[in-house]
Amino acid sequence: MKKILLLLLVTILSVPVLAQETNVSGRVTDDADGAPLPGVNVVVKGTTNGTVTDSDGRYSLTVPSSSSTLVFSFIGLVTQEVEVGGRQSIDVPMKSDITQLNEVVVTALGIERKRNELPYAAQQVSGDAITTTRNSNFVNALSGKVAGIDIKTNNNLGGSTNVVIRGYKSITGNNQALFVIDGVPVSNANNNSVQQRNGGTGVDYGNAAADINPDNIASINVLKGAAATALYGSRAANGVVMITTKKGKKDAFSVAVNSGVTFGVIDRTTYAKYQREYGAGYGSGFYNADLGQGVGPVVQFDADASFGSQFDPNLMVYHWDALDPFSPNYQQMRPWVGAKNDPSEFFETAVTSNQNVTLMGGSDKTVFKLAYTRVDDKGVLPNSKLEKDLVNFSASYDVTDRLTVGASANYSRITGIGRYGTGYNGNNPNQQFRQWWQVNVDIKEQKDAYFRNRQNISWNWPSATGGTPPIYSDNPYWTRYENYANDSRDHYFGYMTMTYKITDWMEAIGRVAFDATTDFQEERVAVGSAGVRFGVDPTIAPPNVPSFYSRFDQSYSETNYDLLLNFNKKLSESFSLTGLLGTNLRRTRLSSMKAATNGGLVIPKLYSLSNSISPMQAPLEQYVRVGVDGIFANANLGYKEMLFLDLSARQDKSTTLPEDDNSYFYFSTSAGFVFSKVLTAPWLTFGKARVNYAEVGNDPVPLSLYDVYDKPTAFGSIAMFSLPNTKNNPQLVAERTKSIEAGIEAEFLEGRVGFDFTWYQSNSFDQAIPVNLTSATGYVSRFVNSGEVENKGIEISAFATPVESQNFSWTLGLTFARNRNKVVSLYSDAVTNVQLSDVINPLQGSVTTNAAVGYPYGVLKGTNFVFTNGQPTVNSQGRYIATASSAEIIGDPNPDWLGGITNTLNYKNIKFNFLIDIRHGGDIFSLDQWYGEGTGLYPHTAGLNELGVPKRSPVAEGGGIILPGVKEDGSQNDIRAANEDGTGTVFGYPNSPPRAWYVYDGSYVKLREVALTYSLPSSLIENLRPLKGIDISLVGRNLWIIDKNMEYSDPEETLSSGNSTNGYQSGAYPAVKTYGFNVKFNF
Amino acid sequence: MRHLIITFVSAMLVTSCVDSLDDYNIDQKRPSLAPAETFFTASMKQLADVLTTPNVNTNNFRLYVQQWATTTYLQEPRYDLTSRIIPQNIWQALYKDVIADLREAKRLLEEDELLPAEDKTTRLAQVEVVEVYAWFVLVTTFGDVPYSQAMDFQNPVPAYDDDATIYADILERLDVALGSLSAGGNGFDNADVLYDGDLDQWVKFGNSLKLKLGMLLADVDTGKAKGIVEAAATNVFTDNADNARFPYLSAPPNNNPLSANLNPAFSSRQDYVVASVIIDKLNALNDPRRPFYFTTVNGEYKGGNYGFANAYGDFSHTSNKTIAPDFEALLLDYSEVEFLLAEAVERGFAVGGTAEEHYNKAIEASIVYWGGSSGDAATYLGQPSVKYTSAPGNFKEKIGVQKWIALYNRGIDAWTEWRKFDYPVLLPPSGGSVPVGLSIPVRIIYPINEQTLNGVNREAAAAAMGGDVASTKLFWDVN
Repeated sequence: MKKILLLLLVTILSVPVLAQETNVSGRVTDDADGAPLPGVNVVVKGTTNGTVTDSDGRYSLTVPSSSSTLVFSFIGLVTQEVEVGGRQSIDVPMKSDITQLNEVVVTALGIERKRNELPYAAQQVSGDAITTTRNSNFVNALSGKVAGIDIKTNNNLGGSTNVVIRGYKSITGNNQALFVIDGVPVSNANNNSVQQRNGGTGVDYGNAAADINPDNIASINVLKGAAATALYGSRAANGVVMITTKKGKKDAFSVAVNSGVTFGVIDRTTYAKYQREYGAGYGSGFYNADLGQGVGPVVQFDADASFGSQFDPNLMVYHWDALDPFSPNYQQMRPWVGAKNDPSEFFETAVTSNQNVTLMGGSDKTVFKLAYTRVDDKGVLPNSKLEKDLVNFSASYDVTDRLTVGASANYSRITGIGRYGTGYNGNNPNQQFRQWWQVNVDIKEQKDAYFRNRQNISWNWPSATGGTPPIYSDNPYWTRYENYANDSRDHYFGYMTMTYKITDWMEAIGRVAFDATTDFQEERVAVGSAGVRFGVDPTIAPPNVPSFYSRFDQSYSETNYDLLLNFNKKLSESFSLTGLLGTNLRRTRLSSMKAATNGGLVIPKLYSLSNSISPMQAPLEQYVRVGVDGIFANANLGYKEMLFLDLSARQDKSTTLPEDDNSYFYFSTSAGFVFSKVLTAPWLTFGKARVNYAEVGNDPVPLSLYDVYDKPTAFGSIAMFSLPNTKNNPQLVAERTKSIEAGIEAEFLEGRVGFDFTWYQSNSFDQAIPVNLTSATGYVSRFVNSGEVENKGIEISAFATPVESQNFSWTLGLTFARNRNKVVSLYSDAVTNVQLSDVINPLQGSVTTNAAVGYPYGVLKGTNFVFTNGQPTVNSQGRYIATASSAEIIGDPNPDWLGGITNTLNYKNIKFNFLIDIRHGGDIFSLDQWYGEGTGLYPHTAGLNELGVPKRSPVAEGGGIILPGVKEDGSQNDIRAANEDGTGTVFGYPNSPPRAWYVYDGSYVKLREVALTYSLPSSLIENLRPLKGIDISLVGRNLWIIDKNMEYSDPEETLSSGNSTNGYQSGAYPAVKTYGFNVKFNF
Repeated sequence: MRHLIITFVSAMLVTSCVDSLDDYNIDQKRPSLAPAETFFTASMKQLADVLTTPNVNTNNFRLYVQQWATTTYLQEPRYDLTSRIIPQNIWQALYKDVIADLREAKRLLEEDELLPAEDKTTRLAQVEVVEVYAWFVLVTTFGDVPYSQAMDFQNPVPAYDDDATIYADILERLDVALGSLSAGGNGFDNADVLYDGDLDQWVKFGNSLKLKLGMLLADVDTGKAKGIVEAAATNVFTDNADNARFPYLSAPPNNNPLSANLNPAFSSRQDYVVASVIIDKLNALNDPRRPFYFTTVNGEYKGGNYGFANAYGDFSHTSNKTIAPDFEALLLDYSEVEFLLAEAVERGFAVGGTAEEHYNKAIEASIVYWGGSSGDAATYLGQPSVKYTSAPGNFKEKIGVQKWIALYNRGIDAWTEWRKFDYPVLLPPSGGSVPVGLSIPVRIIYPINEQTLNGVNREAAAAAMGGDVASTKLFWDVN
């Protein structure tokens, strides 16, 4: 019927009425993929004369004069005005408009809603915005683009990304956002070891969200508050990142090919700088030995510090390579000078190649999409490589007018070699480079030494006459080429869905969604290495091992069965009702095993469990299953498209709760008021106010109810059992987050300017979590329902188009979020603090992260300065005095606010955009500085003092340092503290100064993304059929840190995703600047 | 329509079936039941480990008594107790690894309805003896500690008890246990890695422990000490064969922690050399134990400078004997008992024999234990500088010095004896870059975790003790 009307309309309008009238026809296509756009409004400006495009995107229209202007508009696309200019054929590509308030957004459970109906905050980002700079982990590309989402990337190759929405809510539980792809929740698990996550030995294997193919993403919608996520149930308490993938279009076929290469180099402003005056040792002096040219000074190889003798080019000494028989310097003395190449030369150029092809299309009853992506990622560390193969397929078929079936299948395989070791770990080269190093060692000579015979020729010989293995530090190339880890992850996810239209206002949807990962990880320490603290048992501190091999096998699967009834009914002229009724059955299963050799390897370079010197210890097995059944309902009542009332309720039953009390109910209620319907003003395009209240329940982690025992390795033939570290609790109840949110959003001046403001508060109660206990209780932690954490804050996102003309436009986007977080209470009034950092695998440096009542979540505790009249106090030796207590709050890792500024400039076919990402505040304790200054690596530990005398000269000779502060009597400090050697230095760990001295402000302003895209003009493309478009982009990421306060590192760098090491850096990797190009072909 | 919805919803409810998945809550890979004796063995291993390990993060007592010195890192020989979490590691090992498992063993024994009552009594007594040992270490290391409110997960903030009160209580508990050990039941058999089920040995071990506990009170409450010591002395170790030894195995993780940290087969680190303080003394005395204690450098026994950096290759290390993976750990030995008896005689306690006889037996037992002969011992004892009657100083110095030598490699025991005798005279490092005002710890400060997790009670305890510092003397350390 509509078609006939349309046809009629087109016919009528096509009839020429006046002589000067001309007929204009053409085709409207999607700018992104060249697909035809049906249903686009085409109107002659200033008239009611218009038409809509047909199913092939074609239109034809009679215009009053050749100087008329045509206006092309469509919901979700940027309205375009085109002067006819005497032309008879005008083809128009239309761009999608991310700022449109009328766009359709995907909400919980994949339900599409018009944005004006939504009574809660949701911020949508287009796929284009994510893929612009070709970051192979799309999560990182969200940073700065969505208000209220705190993304902390680390600089690891494929490393895990911390994604926290609206602050940390759970004290020791999961705080990471849930990822949902086309309605399928996918794992974002972090499979890193407990030791790794607590700053000890380990490798960061990343989290699974990184497996998602960014080129497959159509849009991302971030659901922030409980009202938006209540339907998802328990696991969405931390917000949801909803990903909608690209879908084929009916009666169309398109092919897109993306090909890009980026290069990465380290940002030297985020790496250690070295003093160049003093070499190896903790104090002046050399060993004396004859290493070939007679007895002479020998560098103190076994001293992992640079507090030694002053460099003197006239002094000939035996360096480490005098002991390397294959070195040209074997048995030679060389001048005592600093290294030409410092450890920053260790880092190589990263190369990422990203190739993608996407086929989409459909007939009148089917649509499909098939995409393949290949990513080759070579990191900045030698011998590091990630390979990703990603295959995505989805299709749907209209079986009848009422019945549609669809399916999606996705497979990705990620293989990694040499992912970076992290933390305080011999397999993290930054441990030696940033903390324990001799600045006389030339990294390129170390490279040659390793590659000559692939031997562990380290600068760190155990004695003046050599020996094996190195005492503390391996040759860093040996570490990378021999002691590497490798891994693979196979990730499958997909769904089958069936939609049946019962009536024109109700449909039933059945869906089975499946997500599974198979992980395999191998770690090794080669025979001949300095020992590394490695082990598999998370319940004991790892032992030092001379050589080692471990393997970890894990399979994980989650299946969701959904049954939904969807309503959308106009109840009367004024009232509309949309709603749903549904059930969800979720089953997850995790099975894993980690096994390792014991006591070292028999045959070098054979990495197999059977190659264990001592009998293998029992592997660590896990078998964990969860079942959750939910029923839920939602109704959204609309009045004249102006007032909306939204109600949701859900009841879950979970197996992780005690069987007799395993169900919990929660709900949300929201209201929206489109005030622009009543407040009509020419400048106001759209305006909406919204308010909501919601509760979300959450179940405990599995296997936290009943007590079980640990089984240590038997003592010979005598069995041993032991109580575990954690006491379980059969009385756990579901936890609950209550949140209230209010917001206002508006657009002005025909959508040229707009903003969205949200205020929220959420309080999480009765968290079912393990809390650390004093071991005087017999345990180190216990599962309890604990306390209350409050988060409140504001989020603002705004946009403006200051300039818009036919050839040039400039749009500006802005996000700002401020979250204030407080631990209100803990599980007992007597308990005022819970330590977050692991008790068994504590953070080095004797600092802890804590949830302290009355303070923000995650505060750092350690020794503080002793203040006198507000000034740090020094003792009679001129050194800072530390408080006796290590429970002083010395830092708050939570940022004061986060912001992002996006700029997009379009000039004809050229588009330029850049993003500035800002983080203000957030404290970080640096173990690198704590140790590295103590070993005299950094420039300010040497050089001249204010008298012009070397700081490292004896105080009696005018050397030493006067630290800013006061003496114990309150007078200005004038005591020159000794800084002669590594045992007496004022800096760093040796004399245990206040830990607060090594806490830094983690603020930064980063030029996060820059992209310049040139779309070849259609006049050129015309000749290249079947090509429909070519876009060429030059892209850059993290090119410039505009401002930061941490001198030698990237304040964004983290160890892993999770709670325990937030605000703690150890062995930090430098930021990587990436730049490259991408070519996109549309067929 | 309504019909449809009702059908739909009921279909949903029927499919909701987690209630049938109750086994999902059961850990399929770890047991919820295990025999009592397995906890007993585990706790003894944990106890031996914490007492024996030379790990700088846990046990630095060999440094405090200046038997060892470090090569590079000087925080620990200079008594920095916060750079690493040393106090926490000791605390945690004793409470969570040792006492918690002992309590679990007791709980399981008490719940065992099939075990004959007299066997139950005996086994509980064996567990009790080990628990008394663990409390003794805790109390003599930290002073006031959580005791009456400890070991209760439902009380996350246990109050601290006065150390003298705890001490008195564990002595009473030890007496009860000693009574039960001789009540005729069967003890643990092969789970008893100390004595393989020989209850007579347990009685001797218990009495020797009692002797040790009693003697520590000699300065603060001589009367009480006298009673305890005299009662115990009748049935203590009489031979090295009686020693309470933990028999480490050669394969990790049941190897001696010394080997895990110092044996090149397991670690490349070179953190320790022997301190000149002990080597010079042994050289001066021509001590026959030197080859069993130390390695040589160019044929000499040469010690490093305590509290300062030392080149690893220039000085003697602890002997290969001590870093063998299966080198046994002593919890209490015959030599120590004889030294206690010598001291008892000197203090006028009626334990039989003369101080010199016990002193000679103690030294001979030590020399023979380490690998020397009785002849070596006789020669050694014949020297005027060793001979009891002519060795320098009062009885505290004579016994203190020789006991310090005999307790080589048993840092925590040597430290406690040094605190009691105040001999040998040990001085904190000074000069050069050494921080001002160092003193050798006479207790270990409370763990940082106690500050973050049990802050109020820790503060109260610190105040009661006169400050949570390493220079606060414990109640028995009065002279």
